[in-house]
Amino acid sequence: MAASRAHWWFVGPALILMGLILLLPILIAAALSFTSYSLGNPGAEFVGLDNYEKIFTRSTYEKMFGATFRYVFVVVPLSVGLGLGAALLINSTKRFGDFYKTIYFLPVMAALIAMAIVWEFALHPTIGIVNATLEHGCGSFLETWGLYAHGCDRGFPLWLTDRDYAIWTVAFIGVWQGFGFNMVLYLAGLTSVPRELYHAAEMDGARTAWDRFRLVTWPMLGPTTVFVVTISFIRSFQVFDTVEAFYPQGGGPSKSVYVMMFAIYEKAIQQNLMGIGAAITVVFLGFVMFLTVIQRWLVERRVHYS
Amino acid sequence: MTAISLSAIEKNFGATRVLDGIDLDVSDGEFLTLVGPSGCGKSTLLRILAGLEAPSSGRVSIGGREVTEVRPADRNLAMVFQSYALYPHLTVAQNMMTPLKLRDLTFAQRLPFLGPLAAREAHGSILEQVRDTARILKIDHLLDRKPGQLSGGQRQRAALGRAMVRKPAAFLMDEPLSNLDAALRIHMRSELAELHRSLKTTFVYVTHDQAEALTMSDRMAVMMDGRILQLGAPDEIYSNPQDIRVAEFIGAPKINLLPGSLDKAGHARCGDMELARVAEDGIVGCVTIGLRPEHLAVCDKGAPGSLTGRVVHKENLGADIYLHVSVLEGAHRLVVRVSPVEGSAISLGQTCHFRRLHGQAMVFGKDGKRLGLAQPSTEVAEVA
Repeated sequence: MAASRAHWWFVGPALILMGLILLLPILIAAALSFTSYSLGNPGAEFVGLDNYEKIFTRSTYEKMFGATFRYVFVVVPLSVGLGLGAALLINSTKRFGDFYKTIYFLPVMAALIAMAIVWEFALHPTIGIVNATLEHGCGSFLETWGLYAHGCDRGFPLWLTDRDYAIWTVAFIGVWQGFGFNMVLYLAGLTSVPRELYHAAEMDGARTAWDRFRLVTWPMLGPTTVFVVTISFIRSFQVFDTVEAFYPQGGGPSKSVYVMMFAIYEKAIQQNLMGIGAAITVVFLGFVMFLTVIQRWLVERRVHYS
Repeated sequence: MTAISLSAIEKNFGATRVLDGIDLDVSDGEFLTLVGPSGCGKSTLLRILAGLEAPSSGRVSIGGREVTEVRPADRNLAMVFQSYALYPHLTVAQNMMTPLKLRDLTFAQRLPFLGPLAAREAHGSILEQVRDTARILKIDHLLDRKPGQLSGGQRQRAALGRAMVRKPAAFLMDEPLSNLDAALRIHMRSELAELHRSLKTTFVYVTHDQAEALTMSDRMAVMMDGRILQLGAPDEIYSNPQDIRVAEFIGAPKINLLPGSLDKAGHARCGDMELARVAEDGIVGCVTIGLRPEHLAVCDKGAPGSLTGRVVHKENLGADIYLHVSVLEGAHRLVVRVSPVEGSAISLGQTCHFRRLHGQAMVFGKDGKRLGLAQPSTEVAEVA
């Protein structure tokens, strides 16, 4: 039987597009990461693994990984946990559910760069509403809390410009901005949990809300959770807008907020060091790929029910 | 002894009244079926009994204890759901362990990893109980599978197992067979009835299938429009329905209903056919005469009181043949059961004659209630 070539016509367009707009740029970036190429230069010098060596040895990049992982491992658990909590609470209220949904979803809809400017004012050490409010609490029972009393004595932290606080403040804004999205995903997941399972759990003797959560809600949300966690990881690896808005010059107080995406931007665009920028990009891509593989594995292994 | 007692149960969903003053007593060890068309409130009644739904008014008591305000988990009932409601992430064994774990173990003993280590004995005895139950239901080879890997019949058994593994006061079943294919459904009918006999526990079974109700139950309650129309043993309900709706709902093929009238002497008649027995209440006027397909027989032309009609359809079920006969100038259709021998001689379009078997016809008044008939005491000569 003569082999038909029709299949190429079916998969061809998709293959070509995928190659052109996804695979080719990745390959070019990978190739550039072994050179010292700069935009505008006619040629580039092959430098081997020099760029990667820099990434894994120099203290700047150590700070970059530190900031990135601090941000990711604060934002992911908190935004997933708060998203789930808010979804469960909203799901259990009969009234005002839509009202709360809107409130929690507003930060997701707002442009993050604009919100960053608002936060910059709110967190301003002298005219910001946050520290002003905290100062109002001085002299009240709150002062019994040691940390608070310390703040009243010596002044409250300079949230965005103190290197001990900066990354956590940025992470807090990341959580504030991101958990509404997770909440919406969890709300969608909750609607697909069959009511009868809760009835069965009740008949089986699940008396407390925790029992019902352990027995029905949490396992049935498994597929949603895998998706939400992966999305949150990728989104928090990608954090850029807040950092760029708060610290346009170089990644925060003593580079404590020097996250990966900002490092790529600074090296490749601001300093026109395409080679090292490409190398960071490849490392970044590696992280995202790793997460995606874990997600696929989880989806197929643990949470595939039917 | 009364196991379950429902009194004056009413349920409204908004302005819609779903249950309208239900009184029902189920005795200990009884297999009681609630049967009715969809929307009659039978599932709601079962859910009220389970506690998953609160009645608008009325009281529920189980084993002599008032439980109207008691939550489902504390009523000591087990339920099999129409969708089986197995936990999809747990194996069959874990599904069956769940009710035992939730009731018999403390919170600490239920902790993952630590619990089984700390309370090895308790976990072992639970596993033993699960194995025993699985053996009875012949699903012991499926204990490690997840519900998604089971067929419909196996899932149904697993759901039964989860209900059985604990010794509940009563089993509640909400159309448990309706998701199975026809052959398996008939097989499970007898298996459930046998299970009931061996467990000797109270079963309350909800179905819309009158065949399930007739074949399995000790007593059945026919429900319609939120009321129990008739409560009794299956043969009593079948042969002596007190309401025209019960007569129509129970029995397949459906009972034949012919318009008739009652004369002054109390004889019901329809065309040439006149019933020998007389109505007792002295009512005159329009009535409906009900004749089941097996209460009609083919006869020769001109036999007294016979009906004549044209055969319009023939259903061959192997053991029986049902003839659909158009009578009274095509205004009505009767279904007549004949034996294969008689039926094979009759062809479509043929005119045939048949008579009723005496003493079997039922007469229903205008309100749908059954009218009592008695042998006429005066006309001894005309023996019915």
